Amino acid sequence: MSLPATETDILAEDLSRVFEEPSGRVHALGPVSFAIRRGSFVCVLGPTGCGKTTLLRTIAGLEAPDSGRIEIGGRTDSGRSEIGYVFQQGALFPWLTVRGNIDFPLRARRLPRPERAARCAEVLRMIGLEGFGDAYPHQLSGGMQQRVALARAVVTSPDILLLDEPFSSLDMRTSRLLQEKLREVWMARRTTVVFVTHNIEEAVYLAGEVILLGHRPGTIIRRETVDLPEPRSRLSADFVELLVSMRNTFEELIEEDGAARPLPGSDRASGMPLS
Amino acid sequence: MGRERSSGGLRGLLPGLAIPLLLLSWWALSTAGGTGAVLPPPVRVAAVLTHPFTDLMSAGSLAWNTAVSLVRILLGFLLAMAVGIPAGLLMGASGRVRRLLTPTVEMARPLSAIALIPLSILLFRSRTLSQLLGLGHLRYQRHILNEIQLGMIFILFWGGVFPIILDTMQGVRSVRRLHVEAATVLGAGRGFIFRRVLVPSALPDIFHGLRMSIGRCWMVIVAAEMLPGTNSGIGYLISYSYQLSRYDVMMACLVIVGIIGALFSRGLEALGERSLVLRSRER
Repeated sequence: MSLPATETDILAEDLSRVFEEPSGRVHALGPVSFAIRRGSFVCVLGPTGCGKTTLLRTIAGLEAPDSGRIEIGGRTDSGRSEIGYVFQQGALFPWLTVRGNIDFPLRARRLPRPERAARCAEVLRMIGLEGFGDAYPHQLSGGMQQRVALARAVVTSPDILLLDEPFSSLDMRTSRLLQEKLREVWMARRTTVVFVTHNIEEAVYLAGEVILLGHRPGTIIRRETVDLPEPRSRLSADFVELLVSMRNTFEELIEEDGAARPLPGSDRASGMPLS
Repeated sequence: MGRERSSGGLRGLLPGLAIPLLLLSWWALSTAGGTGAVLPPPVRVAAVLTHPFTDLMSAGSLAWNTAVSLVRILLGFLLAMAVGIPAGLLMGASGRVRRLLTPTVEMARPLSAIALIPLSILLFRSRTLSQLLGLGHLRYQRHILNEIQLGMIFILFWGGVFPIILDTMQGVRSVRRLHVEAATVLGAGRGFIFRRVLVPSALPDIFHGLRMSIGRCWMVIVAAEMLPGTNSGIGYLISYSYQLSRYDVMMACLVIVGIIGALFSRGLEALGERSLVLRSRER
């Protein structure tokens, strides 16, 4: 956890988040502390409601932590590094075409028109969206929409890419296709990626490192490096073996965590916490 | 669904004309005998409608009076738009502006156009647009600028502005939080989000407000043209022809108001359709 400052891209210290709900205070997250190395691919894994999304939103600056602090690229203020963010779904602007959506962050940065056009064309090619530039989001399938969302998030060449279960609403085939696409993008650009998911297979396939959060309020109960030979394949013995062993370990850990901090009226100890 | 309806054009309109046509034939039958009927037979109304340039009761032709009313309505409507859209956008986007203006809007809204006639007489007397522009009274008596009384524009504005304010505000407030957050993480500032997210999100509601507004303006025109000193306009013609028992002219005017009002509403609907279709698909 004591990385040299230049190598640390995201640093969180005792981060926690409490929501004021009509039913009372809900402690949603933390405290969590971690450092994420520049250029690494980290998956945040955890059961539903553990605060994964809250964690990601706090990194993005969409929410302020109630205590603790977060540092992005060595800075705590909001004018910090470029961040790309991909939401679960439906975050495309329906009144803009695919190109209009991808152009949006470039326009917000007042880039000159020729540069905007060049960058749009580049990511459209990279994400496999050629020929769809003039389509509207509602004319596209869910998978294509998430491709556009990914393209829109990386068009500014952000230092950090945050993804909140971006493929969870897609069918398995499409979801796997996009996972491969995302790895390609990461390989090409070496952006720091934080990817939130509740799907352990997705996490093991994608990540260089997995952070496991326990039940609400989520704290880090395990941090594990995924060391698989490249290129990764879901059919390789290494992958299957690692997946099985991590699933067993993680489910045990989550169950222990749940038993240690029981909440009245909660049935979370039953069933499979991770899919 | 909405798209099919609009692409049908005139043919798609025909089933909707069934009720007016039915009423028309009933009216024609009931007045066929010619005795004891209160209303003139449709043929006489049609005769008025087919001679739009003939002077009626020394009050000018049907076309002239229609044109005068059209110009008045457009001026009132444009003024309502120019005030209503910015006000609605600001009230939607800023809680402070909303809290500041809502009581005023809520108190002003229920005052009907007719209730405002005395006030507008006090405020504007019978000043016309030509006087306001410093043109004095233009030489030709029937010059359009001489016919635009400021009090009328005020009444039309009043009638039309509130639907625009309220619908625009509603449109901005119903923007999806996800879209605002997406814009934020994409690096957009407040002004950019306002222009590129809030306004396009609100567009379908703004168009709805405009449709309601232009409809209200056509309703209010009759009241506006009741201002003393008025001697032109379709609304004026309605009351004047009634006083002179020229029911054929009166009915012709009603038909014209109905048709033009419907055309305006459809025109705005067609303009707003695109944004509506795009947004409804997404929900």
